[in-house]
Amino acid sequence: MLQRSKSIAPSLGAFLAAAVLVASPLSAPLAAQQIRSAPPVARATQVPVAGALAALGSPPNPKVAVSWDRFYDHAGLMEIGRRLAAAHPNRIKLGTIGRSTQGRDMFLLTVTNFNVGDADKKPAMWIDGNIHANEIQGAEFSLYTAWYLSEMADRVPAVDSLLDKYTFYIVPSINPDGRDHYFHEPNNASSPRTGLAPRDSDGDGRVDEDGLDDLNGDGHVTQMRRRNVNGRWRVSPEDPRLLVPILPGEQGEYDLLGAEGIDNDGDGVVGEDGPGVYDPNRNWPWRWAPQYVQGGADRYPGSLIETRNIMDFVIAHPNIAGAQSYHNSGGMLLRGPGVPQDEYRPQDVQVYDQIGRVGEEILPGYRYMIVWKDLYTVWGGELDWFYGARGILTFSNELWTPFLYFYKAPAGGGGFGGGNAQNRQYQSTESRFNRLLLMGEAMVEWTEVDHPQFGKVEVGGTKKNFGRVEPGFMLQSDGHRNMMFTLYQTSQMPLVEVDSVTTRSLGGGLTEVTAVVVNRRVAPTHTQQDVENRISRPNLISLTGGRVVAGFVIDNPLNGDATEQKRDPANIRVANIPGQGIVRVKWIVSGTGTFTVTADSQKGGVSTMRSR
Amino acid sequence: MPVTRSLGCAAVLLAAIALPSGAQARPTDGYHTAARLGAVLDSIARAKPALVKVSTLATSPGRRPVHAVRIGGAEEKPALLILAGAYGPQVSSSEVALRIVRDLARRHGSDQTVTQLLASNTVYVIPRLNPDAGEAYFGALRWERKGNDTAFDDDRDNVTDEDSPDDLNRDGMITMMRVKSPNGEWMPDAIDPSILRRADATKGERGIYEVFMEGRDDDGDEAYNEDAAGGTDISRNFANNFRFFGENSGLHPFSAEESRAVAEFVSTHDDIAAVYVLGMQDNLLKPWEGRRVPGIGGSPQGTSAGGPFTASLPEDNGWFTEVARRYRTTTGMTEGPATASDVGDPLSWAYFHMGRFAFGSRVWWPGKAAADTTRGRRAPTPDTIAAERNDYRFLKANRPEAFVEWTAVPGMTINGEAVEVGGVAPFATLNPPGSELDSLAAKHTAFVVELTGLLPAVTVPRVNVTEISPRVYRIRADVQNDRYLPSNAALGVRSRLPMRARVELTLGRDQSLSGGRKMQFINALRGSGGTETFEWVVVGAPGSTVTLTVGSPHAGLTTQTITLRAR
Repeated sequence: MLQRSKSIAPSLGAFLAAAVLVASPLSAPLAAQQIRSAPPVARATQVPVAGALAALGSPPNPKVAVSWDRFYDHAGLMEIGRRLAAAHPNRIKLGTIGRSTQGRDMFLLTVTNFNVGDADKKPAMWIDGNIHANEIQGAEFSLYTAWYLSEMADRVPAVDSLLDKYTFYIVPSINPDGRDHYFHEPNNASSPRTGLAPRDSDGDGRVDEDGLDDLNGDGHVTQMRRRNVNGRWRVSPEDPRLLVPILPGEQGEYDLLGAEGIDNDGDGVVGEDGPGVYDPNRNWPWRWAPQYVQGGADRYPGSLIETRNIMDFVIAHPNIAGAQSYHNSGGMLLRGPGVPQDEYRPQDVQVYDQIGRVGEEILPGYRYMIVWKDLYTVWGGELDWFYGARGILTFSNELWTPFLYFYKAPAGGGGFGGGNAQNRQYQSTESRFNRLLLMGEAMVEWTEVDHPQFGKVEVGGTKKNFGRVEPGFMLQSDGHRNMMFTLYQTSQMPLVEVDSVTTRSLGGGLTEVTAVVVNRRVAPTHTQQDVENRISRPNLISLTGGRVVAGFVIDNPLNGDATEQKRDPANIRVANIPGQGIVRVKWIVSGTGTFTVTADSQKGGVSTMRSR
Repeated sequence: MPVTRSLGCAAVLLAAIALPSGAQARPTDGYHTAARLGAVLDSIARAKPALVKVSTLATSPGRRPVHAVRIGGAEEKPALLILAGAYGPQVSSSEVALRIVRDLARRHGSDQTVTQLLASNTVYVIPRLNPDAGEAYFGALRWERKGNDTAFDDDRDNVTDEDSPDDLNRDGMITMMRVKSPNGEWMPDAIDPSILRRADATKGERGIYEVFMEGRDDDGDEAYNEDAAGGTDISRNFANNFRFFGENSGLHPFSAEESRAVAEFVSTHDDIAAVYVLGMQDNLLKPWEGRRVPGIGGSPQGTSAGGPFTASLPEDNGWFTEVARRYRTTTGMTEGPATASDVGDPLSWAYFHMGRFAFGSRVWWPGKAAADTTRGRRAPTPDTIAAERNDYRFLKANRPEAFVEWTAVPGMTINGEAVEVGGVAPFATLNPPGSELDSLAAKHTAFVVELTGLLPAVTVPRVNVTEISPRVYRIRADVQNDRYLPSNAALGVRSRLPMRARVELTLGRDQSLSGGRKMQFINALRGSGGTETFEWVVVGAPGSTVTLTVGSPHAGLTTQTITLRAR
């Protein structure tokens, strides 16, 4: 169990007693047709048939069999986490960073090679998902990362190398309350985005009294329509279940009356105060702005317990050098700043660019983008707090892109903006995919219901798990590619190494000891944001084995320029070791013999070498 | 969750604040340690259990409670919130807040104005927001500590709180120290040589001294007192204009439980209409000077591209101006020191983030000293230290013990030069002698009474029902704000905080609404009788009733039953 992470040992212990269950696949609450499934408890089922030949990139006979073609609610995610921790005790530990508003564990998987080094001293990658309740697959992708790394350890040397040198802190769902609401309550693809802290969204003095409703009891919140020859919608010629906006010259057939719901509180408005209704990704203290500038900000920065749990953990773990927070959708590798008023330091932008461009190669159809410039303005977003307040290089991937429907840029601009004609083109792409690859499963037939306020209406349309998340057969593929981008970022996180330690006698019992310390990765030990604001402590390059008389940083190895560090010369402070950079230090030591040099970097790890 | 203290029936201890008589006054006389502050609040609550409740909002890192006092009984009514003691060295603000609680409790029942006011309004008081820092006022070594007890590595050298000030001259307090140095940027003022001012090289002036807070370089890093004990200055830990990486500002806004508890308190108290901050910021003697700066590409402030407002909205300024005028009249305080900058402070946060009318007073400051008539001494123009010079002269004339003459510390040198210690005693420019606290508090109490009386009160003075035809009725209702302040500040309308007044018509089972809306909101109902009229057409049986609910927790919520009949 990690330092600083609160123990959830009892449940883990209970599981260990039955740890032989590791090979039973889990049931998932959101299989394609089956929205309300049984709770995902461990269920002894048949052991999978053994693989005879490994397909590259996957373990042929994993210790923990997980089906990655479905979605898991919070209990399901955590059960997989438990099984992974039990099956791979030297690679995964299960902890928690705290509880959500409704008391769910924000469980943490610490993934590293626990036999090598101290997990909390290795450079670390933070991975989370699902900050928006409806953006669910980030949790599966995060969990897939833990699964892949632990199952491939001892099989693929590059995986072992990552786990020897780096630590992963993975919190698959940082909005577990909202996640479970999305799964188990009637919802559509956009609801809920929020967490579930109660809020009076419409200002009428009543809290969460009028959300969406499943009128026809089919487990989906779809759309309501009513026949009207003067309406602005008509049935698509491609799919009788699909409504499309009319074009000039066309006759309408229907009015759309909004998302499925009734006026529960009798105020004349349908569904205006559902559970919560704020934006957890606008609640972070960096560049936070009040509601009148940034909708969903909630009342003050860090007002949400989920936000504070993460902040507390990250502040307590200065070894975190990189971060990924998975969202959906649109196929983007996002970096900040979120607002034009903010600025990322040019030295850091270079590093982002190098990693982002490789990401575009790993993820066809995904683009490397800047939040405010290429998407929209975001005040108080998570990635800006990670970078701005903590100096951590952070990406947010917007998972799933309509490019993946037919492996080409979709017609109609991918559903962003555009007029009716463009929207029709885009709807057509979605509809063809639905028919040609999903047997039309993404749509619900229209059925008539009696609406208490509107009278007879028809209810039907698109299911919540279409449009923003991958269909089952593509989940593992998109998950793997996104994971590989995040692992690539991890592989470029700083890593300090003492490259050489040489000695030269100065006579009179004095020795000059020179150490070369390198960082061969792309990312620096301290981002420029960190250096300028002194967020994390300097790197310490220390000498032991003799009495240090004086210590220096060598500014120019060609002409010998050096700057003395008068105070505490045995521990030379170096503000930053740049990406693919070298730092040279030297000491004058009273004594001869063997000296040990240690480079200790909060975000670059610890490396030691003895003089020969 | 705030924990309400249990109520006892112990003796009335309202006199507990009284000064001990005789003997020479000590700086702590009349002031209350955190423990005594809590005890006095408890005694007031015990004496008036139906009127006063004391709860604990948060516990500081030093394990001291942050108290919240509710005056006015349990019923929800438009409320004034008083915040004090966020800036640790300004203990006087807490003392004034405590006396406001005491005086309101004492006058309730005998003083008609106060009794009526507390029947229609609530007053919340959070008297000491930074009890850890405030306790330094009472320590054996007195120094102006700003941070709470959170350990913080101010100089980011990976060692925490390793270089606090030191009492070099052993006088029990931390003042300043000066050392002659070729690097010195400071020189004695020509008029009052005990004041040091920064030399102006452009005028050919040359500095003589380096100046530091009194102390040693405890950790040998060639800096003095650069990592003192203590962490977060609560008066800089609020979210408006928060300065990341600033001195004592904390890791992020509301990183301290003390300030976050206030954010949570205001967030969950929709009854709070206005805030009075006893602190380092003033917008009563001098209006806020913020300017509107257009955002990127010229986008106006208050939009996603333009960012948050940096100046109060013009629609709000008239109300601020008039309240400020009444403050001057009521308290007699007309001239005061400049406001501290609004960086992470509670006052600007209450307005710019929480949408409340918010008023800030500097509480107490040295008065105007008699003019210096010494011949031949002329102040430079512009005189950058006029205020400081006045404070020195005032203190020397009225409280000689508050000034320490510059004196060399025997045996101590820096780079071979003598180290001299001196200057104004800690706390002296922010805190009056204890004997003046009661009369000072009386002025602030008078303003609190006046301000509370200005809070909005939404009423329904007139309802007309007209029969259009049998079973069809037109209802017309006037909604009015009886008191001075608008039901919402213009900024509050933008931020939807506090919630706007609602106008809600609830029908019976066999009635239907043909015209008008069941639920409507009023953005801001102007003060001093501002009225809006609402109409509905209802179909229902003659003699049946509908219910009209109007208002909001912070502007008053009223309900009327209306009978459908011809008038």
